[in-house]
Amino acid sequence: MIAGFTQNLLDPAILFFVLGAFIGAIRSNLEIPPAIAKFLSIYLLMALGLKGGAELATKGLPAEGLLAILAAVLMATLVPAYSFLILRRRVDAYDAAAIAATYGSVSAVTFIASQQFLRNHGVEFGGYMTVAMVVMESPAIVMAVLLASYVRSKGGAGQSPAKAGPSGLPPLSMKHVLHEAFTDGAHLLLIGSLLVGFAVGEHGKTMMAPFTADIFKGLLALFLLEMGLMVGRQIFESKVRIDKSLIAFALLMPMVNATVALALAWLFDLSRGDATLLAALSASASYIVVPAIVRYAIPEARPGIYFTMSIAITFPFNILFGIPLYFAVTGMLWN
Amino acid sequence: MRALEQKKMLTLIAPSELQRLILETLSRRGIGGYTVVPATGAGASGIQSGMLFSDSNVVIYIILSEPRLLSVLEDLDDMMQRGYRIKAIIQDIALLPRKPESR
Repeated sequence: MIAGFTQNLLDPAILFFVLGAFIGAIRSNLEIPPAIAKFLSIYLLMALGLKGGAELATKGLPAEGLLAILAAVLMATLVPAYSFLILRRRVDAYDAAAIAATYGSVSAVTFIASQQFLRNHGVEFGGYMTVAMVVMESPAIVMAVLLASYVRSKGGAGQSPAKAGPSGLPPLSMKHVLHEAFTDGAHLLLIGSLLVGFAVGEHGKTMMAPFTADIFKGLLALFLLEMGLMVGRQIFESKVRIDKSLIAFALLMPMVNATVALALAWLFDLSRGDATLLAALSASASYIVVPAIVRYAIPEARPGIYFTMSIAITFPFNILFGIPLYFAVTGMLWN
Repeated sequence: MRALEQKKMLTLIAPSELQRLILETLSRRGIGGYTVVPATGAGASGIQSGMLFSDSNVVIYIILSEPRLLSVLEDLDDMMQRGYRIKAIIQDIALLPRKPESR
């Protein structure tokens, strides 16, 4: 297990993440222009979708793939449900719904880093896992919005997004929220790239290899440097203070979710690679799609809490320790 | 030189996710002219680094008359009451009016 951790820490992309976090923590003036940072996230989503789609076209969707997708759907509904029940005792109901959505959804970069980790260890996984990732993005958002609507309906008089405002401002409708959730740019780009990859298949994959494969590792390292900078600054410069119980949640929940995911993967007889990816996906928390939609759909929740927990605690935990840990556990159970 | 026109400038600072909601709200009040600038910053919600789509701010500038400003402020107040994190800054400004159209 120790060897797995060491090997993960010696991956150049992971080392750049650590470097970024250090540079951010010591308040250096290094900046990655926001436009480049956004370009990199677009690139990673495109490459991920294209590769997953092309692999699906080549290898098809076997029964194991369907089971993996079913396990992903189950995790995407279970995690927000039990997270909300746990959090409801500790925090405001709207914050609980927002955090449940954040942890019920997934982080594409954690997924990409897990794929990279498996490739480094020569462990195979199915292209359908990208589909599994896509289906895990939205259920948590819908559940959280429904939970927030329920809490509002119990709230009685007073202003609420569910009611028209005194000025005539229309109420926040479920139709609008669903539109935001399913037309989110990152989400659409990933689905679109997956479809393009599926349409062009192996031939297209070879044609796009200089873009999706040759420069992938370098651009991932650059993106992780930027993420490290952001994490370092969020931890050391942000004025947001997170309650100790929420810090514990952000550190423990990934392991709890990964354990449930591995139990499901074991039950469904998934391969070791697919099981590790399912665990990493379930352990990850969204910091792009969900915060963007929750800011709009659950305005009562505090973004400083759910965004900081996801980006500054859970993301680095998974990247540095979580992925090798889940992989090591599959090593014990699957061999 | 032509006389300066007295107007109000409304400056809104908001997360970029709320840009569309704000512009739709302005549009309902008949306001179709605005300037949007990407912005970074920090506040009660943490650091908005501008590096991700989910941690970017925008600054929206709108020049408008006082009666129209009051109706927009009512909408903004409703939005803030709902929990949306928006900063609204109002300034008196003087504007060199648009060149009159030639007949």
